[in-house]
Amino acid sequence: MTDTATNVPTAHDHDGDAHHPTERQYWMVFAALVVLTALEVAWSFIGLDGIALAAPLLIMMVIKFLLVAGVFMHLYFDMKILNGRLFTWMFVAGMVLAMAVYAVVFSTFEFNI
Amino acid sequence: MTDLAVDDTAPAVAHDEGHRTSLNLSNMKLAMWLFLGSEALLFGALISTYLLSKANFIGELVSGNPRVLDTLPDALAKEFVEAGSVEPIFDIPFTSASSFILLMSSLTMVLAHKAVSEGDYKNTRVWLGATAALGSTFIAGQVYEFTVFFREGITYDGNLFGSAFYTLTGFHGIHVTGGILMLVSLLILSFRGKLQKDRAETVELVGLYWHFVDIVWVLIFTIVYLIP
Repeated sequence: MTDTATNVPTAHDHDGDAHHPTERQYWMVFAALVVLTALEVAWSFIGLDGIALAAPLLIMMVIKFLLVAGVFMHLYFDMKILNGRLFTWMFVAGMVLAMAVYAVVFSTFEFNI
Repeated sequence: MTDLAVDDTAPAVAHDEGHRTSLNLSNMKLAMWLFLGSEALLFGALISTYLLSKANFIGELVSGNPRVLDTLPDALAKEFVEAGSVEPIFDIPFTSASSFILLMSSLTMVLAHKAVSEGDYKNTRVWLGATAALGSTFIAGQVYEFTVFFREGITYDGNLFGSAFYTLTGFHGIHVTGGILMLVSLLILSFRGKLQKDRAETVELVGLYWHFVDIVWVLIFTIVYLIP
């Protein structure tokens, strides 16, 4: 938090993310991650194919991604700046941009193995 | 909330967060996030390359391209063709255990940061040591997996799948190894009494890096191992 009158950061200001989770919340997130991983593995052994297999797995993957990034990396508590969450965009934009660029580039390739 | 002039923790904060950007952010933290953004670019590229390479490899294999079939031992090629994927080579229960270990290490990492923030140096060392040990276990598992794959006939330069797989998972392994070195450095600093409460941000920065490699593994585990 910032002293609004002087715009000087206070001693408790950790880049706007002063409200870090409690130890109990960390353990709960870890438990959720373990459960989701177990569900992923179980789902992959059910014997489904195609979108029925991939869609739930991808959804669970995204939830795990958000839990680690949001709670362990404190992005959920990221400071709001420049009309958005600065660190979140800095992080996610890189991966989205890379995958989009490479997908476009490789779609123009013809492999001759 | 008081400002720096009257807060009794001001010297500690000034030590670690004295250099701030015009956005009122810690320079070090901003630099770490920029670095992680560039790392996301790298792994995004590697993951998409793997997906496209694997799809092409399987397509050629199933269509019976002799140049692709010749890159694999007959028994393995037959298994791949029958399954229509590279799934038979993966040991999912083993990789699931590796995933659990890496997720566990993310928990111990945040607990280390919490401990140092609260001035609990004994637990800081315990959690940092646990994180490094779990990371090392993960790397040992990856070395074992690579050895098994190599013996099965998947080599780095044999075919498109092998190249893409070893590059993606190998780069991740290198990053985990780098993280372990950082954790060991923090442990040494802590034993020398140079990792005090006022340096908690240093632990947080290493933690950000560590969680990043964990996140990348979350993606790799699902995309590479679970989705055939």
